[in-house]
Amino acid sequence: MDILQMPSLLALTLPEIDPHEFVSTRDQILLIVMAFFIMLGMGASTTPRDFISALRRPAGLVIGWLTQFTIMPFLAFVMVVFFLVKLTDLPQEAVWFLGISALLMGSIPAGTTSNIFTYFSKGNLALSVMMTTNSTIWAVVMTPLALLIYGELLLGGAIMGIDMQAAHDLKIPLTNIMVTIALMLVPVFAAMGIRRYNANVGAVLELVGGILGIFFIIYLIVTWVPRNWAILTGMPWQVYFITVGLGLFGITIAYNIAKLIRLHPKNARTVGLETGIQNGPLAITIVLVSFSGSEHLALVAIIPALYTLFIVFVSLFVTLYFRRANLAEEQKIPSLL
Amino acid sequence: MQSHIWTKQYPGGVPSEIPAPSHDSLPEMLREAVPGNENKVAFIQCNWNGMNGTLRFGEVDRLSDAFAVYLREVVGLDPGDRVAVQLPNCLSYPVVVFGILKAGCVLVNTNPLYTAREMAHQFSDSGARALIIIDMFADRLVEVLAQTSIEKVITARVGEFFPAVVAGVIRIVQKYWDRSIPKIEVPHTSLQEALSEGRRRLHEEGTKAKDRLDSYLDGIGQGSLAALQYTGGTTGVSKGAMLSHGNLLSNKEQMLAMAGEHIRPGEETILTALPLYHIFAFTVALLGFYCTGNRNILIPQPRPPSNLKRAFENYRVTWLPGVNTLFNALLNERWFIEHPPRHLFASVAGGMALHESVAKRWQEVTGTAVVEGYGLSESSPVLTFNPLGGTAKAGSIGIPVPSTELRCVDEQGNPVSENETGEIIARGPQIMLGYWQRPEESERTLADGWLHTGDMARMDEDGFFYIVDRKKDMILVSGFNVYPNEIEEVMTQHPDVSEAGVIGVPDAASGESVHAYVVRANENLTTEEIIRHCRESLARYKIPKKVVFRDDLPKSLIGKILRKDLRAEVLGTEMPGAVLEKGSVEPRQASVQGN
Repeated sequence: MDILQMPSLLALTLPEIDPHEFVSTRDQILLIVMAFFIMLGMGASTTPRDFISALRRPAGLVIGWLTQFTIMPFLAFVMVVFFLVKLTDLPQEAVWFLGISALLMGSIPAGTTSNIFTYFSKGNLALSVMMTTNSTIWAVVMTPLALLIYGELLLGGAIMGIDMQAAHDLKIPLTNIMVTIALMLVPVFAAMGIRRYNANVGAVLELVGGILGIFFIIYLIVTWVPRNWAILTGMPWQVYFITVGLGLFGITIAYNIAKLIRLHPKNARTVGLETGIQNGPLAITIVLVSFSGSEHLALVAIIPALYTLFIVFVSLFVTLYFRRANLAEEQKIPSLL
Repeated sequence: MQSHIWTKQYPGGVPSEIPAPSHDSLPEMLREAVPGNENKVAFIQCNWNGMNGTLRFGEVDRLSDAFAVYLREVVGLDPGDRVAVQLPNCLSYPVVVFGILKAGCVLVNTNPLYTAREMAHQFSDSGARALIIIDMFADRLVEVLAQTSIEKVITARVGEFFPAVVAGVIRIVQKYWDRSIPKIEVPHTSLQEALSEGRRRLHEEGTKAKDRLDSYLDGIGQGSLAALQYTGGTTGVSKGAMLSHGNLLSNKEQMLAMAGEHIRPGEETILTALPLYHIFAFTVALLGFYCTGNRNILIPQPRPPSNLKRAFENYRVTWLPGVNTLFNALLNERWFIEHPPRHLFASVAGGMALHESVAKRWQEVTGTAVVEGYGLSESSPVLTFNPLGGTAKAGSIGIPVPSTELRCVDEQGNPVSENETGEIIARGPQIMLGYWQRPEESERTLADGWLHTGDMARMDEDGFFYIVDRKKDMILVSGFNVYPNEIEEVMTQHPDVSEAGVIGVPDAASGESVHAYVVRANENLTTEEIIRHCRESLARYKIPKKVVFRDDLPKSLIGKILRKDLRAEVLGTEMPGAVLEKGSVEPRQASVQGN
C-alpha cells in the first residue's frame, strides 16, 4: 500500500513538504557563518590545558563514544519497535521509512549544537569538542554499522521480517563529515591562539560567541517553525515522542551513566549533552543525498527535521537544569578576610 | 636591643636588626620605585573571564600625581585630612591610594561589602572628608553621607584603565546583563574627570609640577599619620589603628628582610586575590612588591575560586599571599590541581590559622611551601613569619621579624617561661601610634610601650611562636573579625528579641561560624525573621549561621551574658568532644586582624 493513499493527516500534509526547503541555502550559509563565530567564541573559552586535562582522563571520551554509538542507536531502536511498530496503525512501509530515519538519527554523531549547549551548561567544552571530533570521525564506520545491525538484522530480519536493504544504501557524505569537523576545530584552535596572544580579545570573542549562540538558538526556532509548520502539526504523537525522546532520554541516560561511574560533574554534563544531541543537519544531508529522487524522500526526512527543532527545546530545558546544578556545586567560600 | 633566641633561626643574610627606613615617607618610596621601571607593568587587573587592564609604573606614578593634585587643589583637602577608599582590588586602587598618600592625606581603607550602617560608622569616626567608591556600591551613600563629614564623592568603575573596547563591553554587561550599576543619587565626580582635572592643573603654566607635588609633603615625615586601619581590636567597637608612614615603611622593610633574596626585584609576579583594603595584602602585596619593581595581579572578585582560573593560566605567578580559606578552596578545584602554577615560588598565609592539613596538601600539589605569619592591623601588620628555606615549623606562626620583640606574658605582665602560654605582647617600629581619637584604649593596648595583642600563645625553645587561643570572645570567620557585642546589639534591636548571646563555633569551612542564642519576647518570632533583620545592618559574614531559641541564657550576678559559659554549654551538648579532645579543634588564631 502506498503511504500517500493513507487516510491520515500524514498523507494530507506530505505533499506540501519539500525537504530541500528544511534548510534553505541562505539559511545554510548564515548558519555556517554563525556556527563559525560561535565556535570561535567557544574556543576562546578554552586553553590547551583543558584539552590536555580531557586527554589525561580518557574515561569521558570512552564513555561518550560508547553511549554515542551503543545507547543512542539502541534507544532509537527500542522507540521504533515500541512506538512505531507496536503503537501505530501506520502502514508498514511508512513505519519502515520513519524507522530507518529514526535509527539514522540515533546513529549519527554530535555536532556544533552540542558544543554550544555544553558551553551554556557550564560543561567541559574541551571534552565536548574532542567528543564531537571523535564521534564524527568514527561515524564514517559506526553510523552505517549501527544502521546495519539495528536496521537490517533486528528490524529487518528478526522482528519485522521486512526488507531493510535500503539501510545499506545510506550514503555517509564524507565531505560533510570533514566540513563538520573543520567548522568546529578550525575556529576553536584559532580562538585558543588568539586568546593566548591577547586575553582581552579572547574574552570579547567569547562574549560575542555566547550572544551569537543565544541568537543562533532563537533563529533556529523562529525560522524553522513557520516554514515547517505543515510537518510540525500533522504527525502522529508517536513521531513527536520519538523525536523528543531520543534527545531527552539520550541525555538523561548518558548523564546518569557518567555520574554513576563518578565522572566529574562538568564532564558528566558534557557526556550527557554530547550523547543526546545529535547532528541534525548532518542527518538531513544524509537523507537528501541518499534518497534524492526517491518518492519517499519527504517521509524519511521528517524525523531528522523534527528532531533538529525539538532538540533545541530539550537542550534549553536541560541546560537550565544543568546550570542550576552547576551553581549548587560551585565552591561557596566566605569572603576572603 | 639585646639578641633574642629566635635570631639564630634567621636564614643567612637576614639581619636581626634593620636600620630605620631610608625614606621619609611612603610617597618618597613610591616615587623611587619608578625610575628604570617606567615601562614595566606594575599592575594587572584580571577579571574572572580573563579581561584585563594594565598599568605601568610610569602610569601609576603620573596618575597618582594627578589625583594628589585633584585632592589638594580641587577638593581643597589639607595635609592629614582623611580620605576613605572603598574599592575592590582593581587598577584604580593603587592610583587612588598612592594619590592620597602623595597629597599628604590619610588613607582610610574600607571594606566595599560594608552595609550602610558600617560605612556610616567608619566614615564618621574617621572624619573622612572625601570618599572614593566603586560605582557598584554607591547607591548606599544616600543614607550614609548625611551622617558623615564627607564633602566629595569620587566614583570609580570596575573597568577603569582597561582598553576602551573592553571597558565598554564590561560596562554594557554590568549595566544591562548583571544590572549591577545602580543610579547614584548623590553628587559625585568620576575618577577620570578628577584625574583629567588634576592633570590639567599639574601642567598649568607658571608652576613646576615637581615643586607643587613636593609642597604637599611639607612636614610629612616618618612619624606622620599615613593610614587609619579600622579594626575591632579586642573590644569589638570598630576603631582606627593609626599607622604612620614610618610604621608601614618599617614593616615593609621587615617583611622584605625576612624574605631576603627570595623576592627578586623586578622578576616576581604576585597574585593578589586577598582584598587590598586588608592590611595584610596592603603592606605585603601592594607596598612590598611595588617598591621592589614587581608585577602585581589584582583579582577584583575571587569568589567562586574558579574566578582565579584565567589569572593562573595567563600569568606566571611566583608569589601568592592567601588565607587558609583561599588555599583550601584552590585545592578543591580540579583545574588547579591538574595544572598547579608552574612558576610559583612561595605562598604566604596570614589572617587566620593555616590548617596543617592544607599546608601539607599545598606542598604536595604545588611543590612549594606556604609559610605562615602573624600580625594585627595594629602592627602594620607583620609581627612574625616562618623563615623561608627549610627552617619553618608546621603549626607555628614563625619567629619575630627583624627589629621586633615578642613576649608571652602572664596576667601581671611578667614573661612566662618557654612553652608556657601567655598573652603575646610586641614592640617594634611597626607598632601603631594608637587608636584614632581613643586615648584610653590606646593607652591600655600600648601599655608600657608594648602592643598587647590579646592573643594567647607559647614560644618554643627555638623562639617559634604558637597561637593557643584568643583572649576575648572575638569570632574569626574566614579571617574576618566578628564581635559578638555588635551582633547581639543588632539582634536585640528587634522588638521581638529580648536577649541574645552570640558565640563562635568551630566550622570546617570558615574556621569558626557565628551562632546566636536568642530569648524571644514574642513566640511567633522566626529564625528567618531574625536573619532578615540582621541582614539590614550587618555585612554578610557577620550574619549568624545558626539561630537557636532558648528560654534563658547563662548570666553573671550583675546580669551580663556569659558567653564563656554559653560556649561551654553549647559545645558540650551540640558537639560532644569537639572542645574536650585535644587537637580536635584547630587553634583559634587571630593573625592579621582587621576588617
